[in-house]
Amino acid sequence: MTKHYLPATPETVHWGYFSRTLAPVLTIRSGDSVTVESITHHANDDYERMIAGDTAAEEIFLWTKDEKTLRRRGAGATEGPFTHGAGEGLGVHLLTGPIAVEGAEPGDVLEVRVIDTYPRPSANPAYRGRFFGSNPSANWGFQYNDLIEEPKPREVVTIYELDMGEASVTALYSYLWTPQTDPDGIVHPTIDYPGVRVDHATVVRKEGILSGIKVPARLHFGTMGLAPAEADYVSTIPPNYTGGNMDDWRIAKGARMYYPVAVAGALFSCGDAHASQGDSELSGTAIEISLTGEFEFVLHKKAELDGTILEGLTHPLLENDDVWSVYGFSVANYLSELGPDHQNEILKRSSLDGAMRDAFRKLRRFLMTTQKLSEDEAISLMSVAADFAVTQVVDANWGVTGTIRKSLFAGR
Amino acid sequence: MSAQPFTSESYSGDVRERAWQDVLRGFGLECLGSRSGAPVQATALWRLSSAGVRLGRVSADAPILRSLPSRGGLPLLVLPVESSAVLTVGDERQIVRAGQIILAPRESDWQLQFQRGLRALVLSVVPEAFRGRKAPSLAACPPRVFAAEGLAGILAGTTGAAVGALDRLSDPEWEAVAQSVAELLLQLSADLVTTTADPSSSRAALLQRLYAIIERSIGREDISVAEVAQAEGISERYVQKLFESTGESFSHYVRERRLQRAWHDLANAAEAAVPISEIAYRYGFSDSAHFSRLFRERFGLPPRELRRREATRDNQAALPNGQRGWPQEALAQLRARQARADPDTRRIVAPGGAARPERTPQAPMRHYLPVNAQNIHWGYFSRSLKPLIEIASGDIVTIETLTQHASDDPERMIEGDPGAESVFHWTPGSKAVDRRGAGPMDASVFGRGAGEGFGVHICTGPIAVRDAQPGDVLEVRILDIEPRPSCHPDHAGRVFGSSVAAWWGFHYSEFLDEPHPRETVTIYEIFTATDEPHARAIHSYRWEPQTDPSGTRHALYDYPGVLVQPETILPRPNVLEGVRIPLRPHFGVIAVAPREAELVDSVPPAYFGGNLDNWRLGKGAAVYLPVSVPGALLSVGDPHAAQGDGELSGTAIECSMTGTFRVVLHKKADIAGTVLADLTYPLIETPESWVLTGFSHPNYLAEFGANGQSEVYAKSSLDLAMRDAFRKVRRFLMTTKGLSEDEAIALMSAAVDFGITQVVDGNWGVHAILSKRLFPDRA
Repeated sequence: MTKHYLPATPETVHWGYFSRTLAPVLTIRSGDSVTVESITHHANDDYERMIAGDTAAEEIFLWTKDEKTLRRRGAGATEGPFTHGAGEGLGVHLLTGPIAVEGAEPGDVLEVRVIDTYPRPSANPAYRGRFFGSNPSANWGFQYNDLIEEPKPREVVTIYELDMGEASVTALYSYLWTPQTDPDGIVHPTIDYPGVRVDHATVVRKEGILSGIKVPARLHFGTMGLAPAEADYVSTIPPNYTGGNMDDWRIAKGARMYYPVAVAGALFSCGDAHASQGDSELSGTAIEISLTGEFEFVLHKKAELDGTILEGLTHPLLENDDVWSVYGFSVANYLSELGPDHQNEILKRSSLDGAMRDAFRKLRRFLMTTQKLSEDEAISLMSVAADFAVTQVVDANWGVTGTIRKSLFAGR
Repeated sequence: MSAQPFTSESYSGDVRERAWQDVLRGFGLECLGSRSGAPVQATALWRLSSAGVRLGRVSADAPILRSLPSRGGLPLLVLPVESSAVLTVGDERQIVRAGQIILAPRESDWQLQFQRGLRALVLSVVPEAFRGRKAPSLAACPPRVFAAEGLAGILAGTTGAAVGALDRLSDPEWEAVAQSVAELLLQLSADLVTTTADPSSSRAALLQRLYAIIERSIGREDISVAEVAQAEGISERYVQKLFESTGESFSHYVRERRLQRAWHDLANAAEAAVPISEIAYRYGFSDSAHFSRLFRERFGLPPRELRRREATRDNQAALPNGQRGWPQEALAQLRARQARADPDTRRIVAPGGAARPERTPQAPMRHYLPVNAQNIHWGYFSRSLKPLIEIASGDIVTIETLTQHASDDPERMIEGDPGAESVFHWTPGSKAVDRRGAGPMDASVFGRGAGEGFGVHICTGPIAVRDAQPGDVLEVRILDIEPRPSCHPDHAGRVFGSSVAAWWGFHYSEFLDEPHPRETVTIYEIFTATDEPHARAIHSYRWEPQTDPSGTRHALYDYPGVLVQPETILPRPNVLEGVRIPLRPHFGVIAVAPREAELVDSVPPAYFGGNLDNWRLGKGAAVYLPVSVPGALLSVGDPHAAQGDGELSGTAIECSMTGTFRVVLHKKADIAGTVLADLTYPLIETPESWVLTGFSHPNYLAEFGANGQSEVYAKSSLDLAMRDAFRKVRRFLMTTKGLSEDEAIALMSAAVDFGITQVVDGNWGVHAILSKRLFPDRA
């Protein structure tokens, strides 16, 4: 077993897309552990606190009239003229990776154990050692067309500080998003392209917000997953059968995630770290923060899956000390089910009803296959002992988890 | 039949492929070449008409679609959607663009390749769909591609629209749509023939035109060869010859078509009231005795018998998809009747209110409400029920409740228990609690029984709270919950519960194992005297039709309290072996009486509480309910030993229990500035958190007005419930915590957890959990 360290640098990150065509930045063996740095794509909401002085972050976010370190952001067009910018922001998360696992092939399952997560301290001397995050209430949020106060609609960014001693997060200030002009001259009237540096001269800070409120910390990675097989460039926004933007705060220290491998080498990437998030991620984002994660990878070969909880697995599965959770989506595999225009089509299919149905089917199959229950037993057990919860209603492919406690089966 | 959803995700890896091919086989197709190394991922939605028209959409990550060899029937229609496909016939390849139609005769050998994976609409029509009308013989025809214009365009458009609405069409609507697309397909198939050069096909086309003339004039008794020949400008002799070439004479064909169409009309439920002689006359039989004889010779049964059989079948077909709540028509009739008569509630509030016991105002009193036939109302809430007792704010009440599912195992859960025996008592001559549900007492809607089971929960109450007025808030705090032990000598002291995977469950539309559909009852034993209280399954049985003491047969679990006869069922032991389910004792139903209607179905929860089915409402928790009628009229029931979020199968572990509650009245004037300010929905408080209850329709009675008790079942959605929960949390944070809208939204995204309460109670629920830890420095 080897321990690796994967820093976040311009060479080790990709922005806004998964791709089976990316060359791995690190190749490991099953059993290896990797410490992976990630930087939040919302760092530019407060450059001074989250980028300034952090060499890697400065390089990654570098964008002047003459230079843009990471040109492509998203799975969209890379040839202009652009509406928003190269990649068109069709996918927004800044991901570190991909990491290839030797010998991984389609049909295998990759287990990713989250050993620990640490926040990335500010490197600005003014804030040295402190941890900051950002939570925009954005145009893709559940609230956006359902606001009651003026101006309508609006986007609001709230900057938070994480206190690791107290394990809680408190709000520092907020501001209303104002149109931001990027170095290429494109105006962003809403948050429509990642990594645009907010010019704080154009916004009005509101202090003293959420005073006295402490949000318990739930450090986790919102996006962890493997490259899908269906297309060369896939937006990071809708989660799907190989994982991705699951936005479940339970994928945290102590959790084991299982993903079906779709391409040779598996190609794991992660990012979109959160200091905390509620089930639903209502406003469109969590408290977005830069985290470093320590992971252990175990490859389960196709031939060895039968008789284990991984038998027949075609979707992401979470395991921790207490539970198993299956992930249901509005559309189980939108890439294969919705045809070539899947990026737009999935936006029309966003529904908890679809996700609930999918979660039900997946949990029934899981119980029947891995616990050898009959269909009737599985249905009765789901009704009396499985908990269905909303994961997120903002990532196009909405999520419902079906969770079942492992202790139920202790006597079997 | 209803629309059938399919997804390979439902199946484990080894049977996934087979299940998928089964779906395609229904269409006469198969699919090949799945992505290497991974099991096929496929989805479909299809529907089959009674005449054998099958329509649906299929998609899979496998590229090749081809026909299974078979004979007869109209050609298959395949319509690639969103991306093109390549049609290969022998050595010839042709590109089919998305939106074009392929008509492919079943006998011919062809395959379609979809570069980006299969995505297509498919229509398959069996010859029987036309009831004796001849479809052209197409054995010699190769598949043909039609651009979406003219008739082909109409067929493509209709097919697309029909597939889009497949799961929303009612049965009669679907039958009509299916027949229409079949007709269009028949017509377009004729083109397949006419464009082939060989003389036999032009003859076939001519025959098709003759058939069409016959269909148009089929009602006339005197339709003749001469007339048909003249219409096409050919000789009578040639007409005769053409018919002979099909092995059937002209007159025989005409008679066959007349009989078939009469058969179709006789089998149509919508025409059940039309006299048989009139239908005979419609198709050129002026002598109905003659018609009956011919009909019997042809079909082996007289017309009257066919009608009777079809009527029975319709009734049975209606069963597996039981209906909850009021049908629209029945509600309309009820409204008409209500104008004349008072509602038939059991106890009507006496004018002037109940007598007040003398006592000192400060000392909280303790009350005890045993459960028996006099102390419960079954399946409904009503503002008109006379309260059993009146209590003061702060009083403590112990309330016995019974599960309506005790009848699933009368020996364990009823026998020997005086309270339960009193409530469930039902013999041919007497039924202790007649009204079960908010439906009509004469069961004139479905005939299930008095109240029609529009509402099922046995509720103990109501209890009036002194001085409670609309606008106040009633706090119901659960101090303790004790299960109700069995009184049967063989089981004395033990505790049992039942969980039914019922027809209103979320799973009911899609079973994997046979038979489809089915209802299954699982009986559980509850163990409380251990460190980790839990439930274990004892056995399960499939619901079998039960005949109640009044003689009504219940093919489905459609009426509460029907005592299951042990000799009619087959208990299967060893279910959920070794599985221990941790208990979450709680009351599914805690309600105050709603103001909008006289009788309200107990199933859909709403602003007044009711069937909340949230397991967090257990010992130590409280629910705050907005009072909407004087006295509040509190009722409690539907006790659960355990339930998961979702209550997927339709029920929890339903188990009789006794609760002790402290009831506190918060007057409207005193709640400004507290968490109860502006409360218009049930708010749950646990030691750790606030739980806000969102519903698809927060007040369905007001929203849909008179149709509420019907509409709420038709229009439920988690998306709506999520929206309601979001709005409630926003308001709660803004009103009671003084946050701005932006702060409230930011906090919700970062720290509020939304979960699924239930998807089975008509009005679906999403709850939001706010940890009290969030506000350490605030009130």
